[in-house]
Amino acid sequence: MSSKLSPKANERRRDLLKLGLGAAVAAPVLSLTGNAAANTVQTNAHIVISGAGAGGIAMANRFARSLPGARITIIDAREDHHYQPGWTLVASGVWNKEKTISKTGEWIPSRVNWVRGMVTEYDPDNNSVTVSNGETINYDYLIVACGLELRFDRIEGMDTNLIGQGKGVGSVYASIDAAAVTYDEISRWIQKGSGTGLFNLPPTALKCAGAPLKMTFTTLSRLEDSGRRNQFNVEFMTPSGGLFGVPFYNDFVKQRFTDQGVTRNDFWTLKGIDADAKKAYYSVRDGEDQVKDYEFIHVVPPMTAPDAILNSPLKFADDSPFKDWMEVDRETLQNPNYPNVWGIGDVMGMPSNKTAASVKMQAGVLEQNFLAHLQGQPLPARHNGYTSCPLITGIGKAMLVEFGWDSKLLPSFSFIDPKEESWTVWVMKERMLRPAYFAMLEGKI
Amino acid sequence: MTLTGILTVLWYSALPWLWLIALMIVVFLVPQILGRLKGYTFKSTGGIGSKVLPPIIAVAALFLLPIHTQSTIAYVNTWVDWMNLIGASIGAGIYAWFVLHPICFMRNRKA
Repeated sequence: MSSKLSPKANERRRDLLKLGLGAAVAAPVLSLTGNAAANTVQTNAHIVISGAGAGGIAMANRFARSLPGARITIIDAREDHHYQPGWTLVASGVWNKEKTISKTGEWIPSRVNWVRGMVTEYDPDNNSVTVSNGETINYDYLIVACGLELRFDRIEGMDTNLIGQGKGVGSVYASIDAAAVTYDEISRWIQKGSGTGLFNLPPTALKCAGAPLKMTFTTLSRLEDSGRRNQFNVEFMTPSGGLFGVPFYNDFVKQRFTDQGVTRNDFWTLKGIDADAKKAYYSVRDGEDQVKDYEFIHVVPPMTAPDAILNSPLKFADDSPFKDWMEVDRETLQNPNYPNVWGIGDVMGMPSNKTAASVKMQAGVLEQNFLAHLQGQPLPARHNGYTSCPLITGIGKAMLVEFGWDSKLLPSFSFIDPKEESWTVWVMKERMLRPAYFAMLEGKI
Repeated sequence: MTLTGILTVLWYSALPWLWLIALMIVVFLVPQILGRLKGYTFKSTGGIGSKVLPPIIAVAALFLLPIHTQSTIAYVNTWVDWMNLIGASIGAGIYAWFVLHPICFMRNRKA
């Protein structure tokens, strides 16, 4: 057939084929360029990673490439890996929960030994950890990436089993199932057509500090879409009097709450709930305790490092503001008392930095410093406190909040205004951050 | 963020949609190749379909793209938003023209 074509037509066809082949080849090549590994170091050290969340898996993948010869063990009991930044989208009805769940085993490199269990005891003086399956594992180096503990038990009457049971209790934090039924609980409240919704912040540091705000804003979107916004009362409780750590965003959210008719109750801390009576109990700084009736309450629990850390010498001293967290140098991520112990992720005591975006930044710093430490060199990398929160201000729009130590704004993209609500940022949050997270898990960025 | 990092994220973002990209390439290539076997060039005369539908698709995309992302055109706010939306809409229109123009050419030739 081609013999019937003119030479010019043949040339055009070849060009088209080249175009198609080029596209097919270029994409995988681009993927290979993304390996974010530092140099490689030959070692036979045994590295134990406690926790297979975002930080643990990212480090396992990086070390599997950059430390040929090392024996790497990762300890975690969870078979499922959760894309937690997507939980607010699930609780807002934007995603279904399956989109956030994958298998832990899919992300762990084949040369890494996976021990099913949780670390129950850290013994850095003897370079060993005890695991819930009874094993004691010795290490040369330890990476603590065990995340944090949700302390629902510190709220009297609160039980995660109450979430989504038709009693008006929701929490995006408790689990992916809880996030999904939180959506149902909010839907029931909206269907009822009236009543008070209480949204809370905890009195401790928290992971994804924007999530309580996002839940409020997406719920406001849904209330406004119902056409009966005026029939609902929405209140937001802040134990510290602040809504966000960065002054600009704190002021922005305060103004937006005022504009959208949200009542703010500053210095109120949720102490207990009576789910059957739909009452919430608050302590108020410099005031009398208060009781609030509700139709829906979004509970955000106090958070600390897991007990195994709190009962170990790895925690901050009791007189530190970070006494409930693991001690690390916030810039090098190394424990100052045990130089062979390092931290990454939510477990560390830092002013903010409990987000997947922080883990992305920390993973590169930790890898560079760890490799330098192995070679007896000065630690070259410094964590700048980077954290990021695409602050959803309504279903369909968001602001790209990125900042570091001292609330200094650290925008990644010069063309995106961090102080403007944007559809593009929403699309990034909804479509691109999950792939970026997966690239981070694999140590590609 | 480094250029490599951005490219890596774009690649990971495209991964779940490779089937759609492949389908779009096929839908683009089939009429182009068939048309060119019958003497079609970009300068050939198309038809009413290739004149009217691509602009309609581009304008429709302005409204449908935000809806497709569970948002609304009312939230298209910054110049980057508008640049992205208009760029994507024009892209959809151009793509439609690339597909429809050779199809219209072949229909005209048949007639």
